[in-house]
Amino acid sequence: MNIIEVENVTKRFGRYKALDDLSLSIAQGRIFGLLGPNGAGKTTLIRLLTCINTPDSGSVRFCGHPLTAADVSNIGYLPEERGLYKKMKVSEQAIYMARLRGMSRRDAIDSLQHWFHKLGIESWWNRRVEDLSKGMQQKVQFIVTVAHHPDFLIFDEPFSGFDPINAEQLKSEIMELKEHGATIILSTHNMASVEEICDDIALVNKGKVIINGAVNEVRRTFRQNRFHITFDGQADISDLPEWMQILSCNNDEQTTTVQLQVTDMHKANDLLQYFIARYPILSFGEMLPSMNDIFIRTIQAQNENH
Amino acid sequence: MNKILVIISREFLTRIRKKSFIITTLLMPVIMVVLILLPVYLSNHTDKSCTIYVLDDNSYFIHKFHNTSKIKFEYPSGELEGLKQRCVNGECDAVLHILSGSQSNRANLFFYKDPPLSLKNGISEQMDEVMFDRALQQEFNVDVQRYKVIKENAHSDIQTLQIDRDGRAQEKMVEMNRFVGIICGVLIYFFVFTYANQVMRSVIEEKSNRIIEVIVSSVKPFQFMMGKIVGVALTGLTQFVAQITLIVLMIFVVGSVAPQVFSDNSTAELLSQNGGGFAGATVATNSDVFTNISTFYSFPFSTLIFCFLFYFIIGYLMYASLFAGVGSATDNETDSQQLVLPISIPLIASLIVIASGISPQHELIRWLSFIPFTSPIAMLYRIPSGVPLWELLLSGGILLLTFLLCVKFAAKIYRVGLLLYGKKVTWRELIRWMKM
Repeated sequence: MNIIEVENVTKRFGRYKALDDLSLSIAQGRIFGLLGPNGAGKTTLIRLLTCINTPDSGSVRFCGHPLTAADVSNIGYLPEERGLYKKMKVSEQAIYMARLRGMSRRDAIDSLQHWFHKLGIESWWNRRVEDLSKGMQQKVQFIVTVAHHPDFLIFDEPFSGFDPINAEQLKSEIMELKEHGATIILSTHNMASVEEICDDIALVNKGKVIINGAVNEVRRTFRQNRFHITFDGQADISDLPEWMQILSCNNDEQTTTVQLQVTDMHKANDLLQYFIARYPILSFGEMLPSMNDIFIRTIQAQNENH
Repeated sequence: MNKILVIISREFLTRIRKKSFIITTLLMPVIMVVLILLPVYLSNHTDKSCTIYVLDDNSYFIHKFHNTSKIKFEYPSGELEGLKQRCVNGECDAVLHILSGSQSNRANLFFYKDPPLSLKNGISEQMDEVMFDRALQQEFNVDVQRYKVIKENAHSDIQTLQIDRDGRAQEKMVEMNRFVGIICGVLIYFFVFTYANQVMRSVIEEKSNRIIEVIVSSVKPFQFMMGKIVGVALTGLTQFVAQITLIVLMIFVVGSVAPQVFSDNSTAELLSQNGGGFAGATVATNSDVFTNISTFYSFPFSTLIFCFLFYFIIGYLMYASLFAGVGSATDNETDSQQLVLPISIPLIASLIVIASGISPQHELIRWLSFIPFTSPIAMLYRIPSGVPLWELLLSGGILLLTFLLCVKFAAKIYRVGLLLYGKKVTWRELIRWMKM
């Protein structure tokens, strides 16, 4: 089932078209990476999904029905531009935000205490926001986003401002939310984390979706017939047939690792057949392009065409 | 609805718990009371009784001065130099030397330590009186005692009465009407500016804090704006009521613990009874306004109170929503000032007009009382002198309608402006947003 279905949505700001007839669906229980260069329309799309803005045309459906303001109590949103009231106590602030999302005071306190305990920050409960470091405030903001048990979560650049340890903690929390059945949109420029935790992605540019699908499929679609192969000992691989081309070659004491570009006419088996007779093979594999490569290649290609 | 209450309570509670709020709430009444009581106290107490040695070369003024609570005259014998020396030694506060011959209207007042400011006038008045009495007697052959009785009895008493169309007359005090009107206007002016500005500052703060996006993803911007405006208004009213209560309380306490502060001054007594805080302060200086109590009670109180509340509340809501709209369109307070100016000019202008003491029946005031941005001040200035019902309804209706329109437009600007950063917005753009 799709938790979000965006159909032919257009949104203009004056003469500027932020979203251009954009369609997109997000399956329940998945982590969905929303990618795209700056100004592509990601934030505009997210603001439509959180009812901050309404589309000029097209529709947004949530759990099968048209999205309304009442649904925001079931959505958790961590904006990229996020802040807290500096002068308030951490707990008061978190309770306030949870109540604005429709929780009762009692439920809010229970849920928040659970989360503060889970992230090991109970001691911050009575501190003032201005006394916390930026990373600490980020943690509080994360809790504020998830405290009301939403089924649908949107994280816009959640890892910015976190040190590696806290980023890892956040990642595992996000995975855990997914295991509990939440659907998550992750908008980020951190492509490594997309490969690591996203199931599906959409690449948006100039208000349109240009790539959409499961991460593995997308990477396979962009495969370039590149392979890596490792031989035992020092291998002399100077005299190769012309259908393969060396991208790089690494020798160390015991092994030789080669990265090869193979022409479209030949398959992995051809490559293996050629080497298996000549060198002792230790490992072999296809090199799928990273999300980072796909991102750069696609966006650059599109920008050159215009 | 529930969310609006959550917003109102946060806006209210965080504000009244601020140190600055508590300090101003407590400090303002103290300053006010000191400002009210100090002049009263000073005029009664700091001018201690002065002893004046009189030396008259013509001996005409000798024993003609009468002692008052502040000045005590003594007529020691001796030369000027000797008296001056005694002044330096501290036996007296000043030496009054009245010059001889044709210059007998002239005198020198010698002092060693600075005398009270009122001393010279006090002496001069008495000298004038003595000379006047002498002239009456010597040049016009008038009996001074009889003259005084005549002068005492020749005292006019003018009542001001306002007539209506049916010819009925009602006692009205013109000064009182103006005074009440101006007080109401000033109160509205200060409340609107202080707290509408707070709304604006808070909107700007939320924007630059980047907290606003999380909030508007949870509640509608309109709900949030109204919650904030009402929350700030409650804060303002709390402060207002607390300050007035404190002022009244302090005046009572000072009056009962240290009645000598007021001594036998009837002005101060009146003040402690009517103790209307800010109002009382000015009333005390115009005590004759209150002398005719019956006029005071024939005053259109119910109309005034009802209208005050109406114009006060609607006027505040209108301006506060406009200020909120302006705040949402800017990132910082400096930029906001140029947008605030055009909307605050009507309010400032109307205050200046009524402060000039213009007649409440003047055509200008009548027109201003219909224009929604000036009517909260202008209409209240008119009400004490009587306003036809239809004019009241028309003005109120226009204000209410404008208020609703303003809230609608401000909410639109607010929606668009909140999430727009780093752009300096002009009025033209704001108007475009309204149409979006």
